[in-house]
Amino acid sequence: MASDDVPAAPAPEVFLCGDDLVAAECADTRSAQALADHLRESGEWIECVAGIGSCVAQFDLASVTAEQAERRLMAAMQTVPAARDADAELVKVPVCYGGDHGPDLDDVCKLLGMDRAAFIARHTGGEYRVDMLGFTPGFAFIGGFDAAREVPRRPQPRVRLESGSIGIAGGRTGIYTLSGPGGWQIVGRTPLELFDAGREQPFLLRAGMRVRFVAIGDEEFDAGRTP
Amino acid sequence: MTLRILKPGLQTTVQAGPRTGQRHLGVPASGAADPLSLALANRLVGNAPFAPALETTLTGVRLRCDGIAYAAVSGARAKVRLNGERVKRHRTLALAEGDELEVGPARAGARNYLAFAGGIVAGEILGSASTYLPAGFGGFEGRALRAGDVLQVGPFDNAPDMLRTPKEFRPRATTSWALRACYGAEVDLLNKESRFDLFDTNFTVGNRADRMGLQLEGARFEVASGGRLASAPVFPGTIQCPEDGVPFLLSIDAQTIGGYPRVAQVARADRHQIGQLRPGDHVRLLWRDVDSAREELLAKHDYWREWLPGISAII
Repeated sequence: MASDDVPAAPAPEVFLCGDDLVAAECADTRSAQALADHLRESGEWIECVAGIGSCVAQFDLASVTAEQAERRLMAAMQTVPAARDADAELVKVPVCYGGDHGPDLDDVCKLLGMDRAAFIARHTGGEYRVDMLGFTPGFAFIGGFDAAREVPRRPQPRVRLESGSIGIAGGRTGIYTLSGPGGWQIVGRTPLELFDAGREQPFLLRAGMRVRFVAIGDEEFDAGRTP
Repeated sequence: MTLRILKPGLQTTVQAGPRTGQRHLGVPASGAADPLSLALANRLVGNAPFAPALETTLTGVRLRCDGIAYAAVSGARAKVRLNGERVKRHRTLALAEGDELEVGPARAGARNYLAFAGGIVAGEILGSASTYLPAGFGGFEGRALRAGDVLQVGPFDNAPDMLRTPKEFRPRATTSWALRACYGAEVDLLNKESRFDLFDTNFTVGNRADRMGLQLEGARFEVASGGRLASAPVFPGTIQCPEDGVPFLLSIDAQTIGGYPRVAQVARADRHQIGQLRPGDHVRLLWRDVDSAREELLAKHDYWREWLPGISAII
């Protein structure tokens, strides 16, 4: 089990989590990504999705039994190539912190016992890595904001967030690519369009990329929005 | 041939097959919430099972066609009218220029599928023509239809046979559903009693019920993690148990990653029924081990193959 926000529980390495879903516990999120990529390349699975420290693969129950799927997954775990992370692309993500763009910033600051300036300095001071895309198209889970390990999700998700909202939860930064519901604590918003189905490359970020956040003001935010 | 929407209903969208193989990018399945009914409607007009068609939600739709068309309706129980006259569902309907077709409010079940010979014209985005409303792409301009919208229907070579779906192949919409389900990844976070209750509660579908998912009310479940969890992959049919203790059943537009314990997974054989659940319906979960779930899927495929030869790619 990864050193994540779950209490350690004795769990088998590979187990079924539905009639056509088989899961693998991984040492960390990057090895989960590597396993998912490896499974996808085999072409034997319908979906291969990495989570935080785990990977779930969906198989075609009409042609594969659960037992066969478990065996295939275990065999694949023996042949995963090592995660390649040298020279990952660095993307700078501008963020307008607080105010209407970051309604939870003050709550988060209170939880962490720091003022806004200290929070922003801390958040923009680090270099992070995209753990995975998921939730909705292009939503980026960005790991490595250890100062906020103890920040929980909101107990009740918000019904509507604006696209580009930057949330914090459990030591991660998340970027909402769509307007819609969400449960992370929102500290700011980026004017970047991280996902656009009509673009030749719909996804701006990919798992494994490096990310830095850069603080911007309201004016820069407005100027940065694509019309 | 074009169709003009006269009354759009609560949420009528163009839906086709699911988007597959992209959940790792956060791209949900989308597509018909009840793919079996979509395929049944398409079968009656000579289309491929997942040709783009209209999916109505609860209230139905009214439209006019400006040429010769063949249509069919399958799904929720509702009255269908052609120029004001009652016509049957589950049949090929021949429409002439100026004809008005209306699907009334669903009386049981939630969604109807209106298929037209040739299929609705819609470009593929990320592998499917289906509308994905949360991101506003696919289908017709990525949105639900409005009055005045004009949709193109594709060409077809020959007039389709005038068919009726045999009685034994008409799914019956009900208000009381049984969904077979297996344990989910974090079922161990429920104590023994809760695990029993999960499969022994007559749930009621809550008011929050849409293409993303539905609340199952009737019992509260305490999970040992306090309701939070490292973000993990979820799928249509996954039942999550969030901090408020009210289980949430994910549907076809479900997000790809969730942060709440996954206590159960509706079996593939019964996932197509999720799209017909509506607020107030009763739902029971029937526990299955994975081997029985597979046998039942294969049996269901065998049953349907006679009318829908491609059934194993549909449900």
